[in-house]
Amino acid sequence: MNALRIIFDGIVKKNPTFVLILGMCPTLGTTSSAITGMSMGLATLFVLMCSNMAVSAIKSIVPDKVRIPVYIVVIASFVTILQMVMQAYLPSLYATLGIFIPLIVVNCILLGRAEAFASKNGVFASLCDGLGVGVGFTLALTLLGSVREILGTGAVFGCQLYSADYGALLFVLAPGAFIVLGLLIALFNRLYNNE
Amino acid sequence: MLEYIAVIFSAILVNNIVFSQFLGICPFIGVSKNLESAFGMGMAVTFVMAVATAATWLLQHYVLVPLGIVYVQTITFILVIAVLVQMLEIMMKKISPSLYAALGVFLPLITTNCAVLGVAIIVAQKDFGFVYSIVYAIATALGFALALTIFAGIRTQLALADVPRSMRGVPIALIVAGILAMAFMGFAGIKIG
Amino acid sequence: MKSTLLTMTASLCGLALLVGAALAGVNILTEKPIAEAQAEARRQAIAAVLPEFDNNPSEEAIVTPDGLTLFPATKNGEEVGTAVETYSDNGFSGRFTILAGFDRDGRVTGFRVLSHSETPGLGAKMGEWFSAEGTSHDVTGHTQPFTLKNHGGDIDAITGATITSQAFMEALNRAAEACANKNSEP
Repeated sequence: MNALRIIFDGIVKKNPTFVLILGMCPTLGTTSSAITGMSMGLATLFVLMCSNMAVSAIKSIVPDKVRIPVYIVVIASFVTILQMVMQAYLPSLYATLGIFIPLIVVNCILLGRAEAFASKNGVFASLCDGLGVGVGFTLALTLLGSVREILGTGAVFGCQLYSADYGALLFVLAPGAFIVLGLLIALFNRLYNNE
Repeated sequence: MLEYIAVIFSAILVNNIVFSQFLGICPFIGVSKNLESAFGMGMAVTFVMAVATAATWLLQHYVLVPLGIVYVQTITFILVIAVLVQMLEIMMKKISPSLYAALGVFLPLITTNCAVLGVAIIVAQKDFGFVYSIVYAIATALGFALALTIFAGIRTQLALADVPRSMRGVPIALIVAGILAMAFMGFAGIKIG
Repeated sequence: MKSTLLTMTASLCGLALLVGAALAGVNILTEKPIAEAQAEARRQAIAAVLPEFDNNPSEEAIVTPDGLTLFPATKNGEEVGTAVETYSDNGFSGRFTILAGFDRDGRVTGFRVLSHSETPGLGAKMGEWFSAEGTSHDVTGHTQPFTLKNHGGDIDAITGATITSQAFMEALNRAAEACANKNSEP
């Protein structure tokens, strides 16, 4: 029950994209299609779960003053492992996401969750938190990617909804990323903070 | 020479790091509420990016590649950047208190600015020469400073506008950024040399 | 835990050792698959642009002085064509690279876009556009020189992406040139 609560909080109440507004760079940079957005979300989810667990497991033996460098090293090593594994088994996806994979290291979500949650809670709770926040991030990126792809090219996940000739290309390009994300955050505000 | 002019022009306007490469968005949204701090942040990033790119370039070419351990690139780069920022802060405080007063508050924020790590990795991936890398880093950072300053100028005006409640704050800022990105698209395709 | 010089040094050194060992381990495990994946990707790309061959073109690759890579393909010892990794720096958003296949008479047998940063929906269409069968912009079977219609040639440019099309022609011409030079050598 408690675990479910933590996961749900991570997806909705603490949604990293729509509520906390963290990790903007990959959010904008990798969502020109639904599938790349989702892949980026899943990559982040993986690192987030691993780093949350690791940080929680070593929290009692890390001296207070050096904890931030330690967290950064832990996160960076999981990112590096992910990089190598993706290069070996998913080379085309790795090429598509490009520089945004190593840049997971500086995604504020990871250091934020390590400091705010994993360093204070148990391993299992931290795993749930990582899962919840990661899934929230993945859903947000997939949603943003889908909206941009549908408006821009008329297709989503390889399924053509209407002719690409009627698509507004702008939404696939850089300005579309900013505009769609702005509108989605506004929508989320409207639905969730319905005072 | 023409080569350098071309890279400077391209990094500032055509391939602007914020509007076309989506790096450094967090400080772009976070530190753009007033013109003064936006300009300060821009200058601090320029300084750090030049020094960090020089340091990581040397590290990449004289340590990682000869030893065959390029796979620890990400870890070493982020650590070097973090240490560098900390050292700059200490040195600035000692050597030039006035510079520290102007840029000091922005320094801790720069470690997690993905533009700095991003540029270091791009330079290593594309195998640029040493001088070319530094010129590229400075130009990219100036592009960031330009984007930030323009954006802050607009946001100070925006604060006076009557925006629908759900759109206030970040959403309207993002939409303004989108319109700015459209303006910057006008530079695409321009060539020098 | 309390921060003394001893605990801080010990924990950082311990972490560095642990992380170093873990990464070195993963590197050893993935080194071979990464190399294989890259070789496989290249082999597939070459196979897609050339008629059937039975040698390993990557092993016989030749790098020209201007930075093109030629992959000669043979079947039963006889040359069937050459795949050329070529590029243009005059794309709409900088450099793109393509792999183009030519048969012995210099006719294009196929091509593949390897990397590009052209505008999605416009310049990025070059892959499909220049290989659309039965159109006036299909370059398959075409020989040098590759020229756009508005430059007096016979190939239609991509609608709305003339710069990309022009750069694409440049890349093809460069590749065909390198191919011809190689064939004229003894």
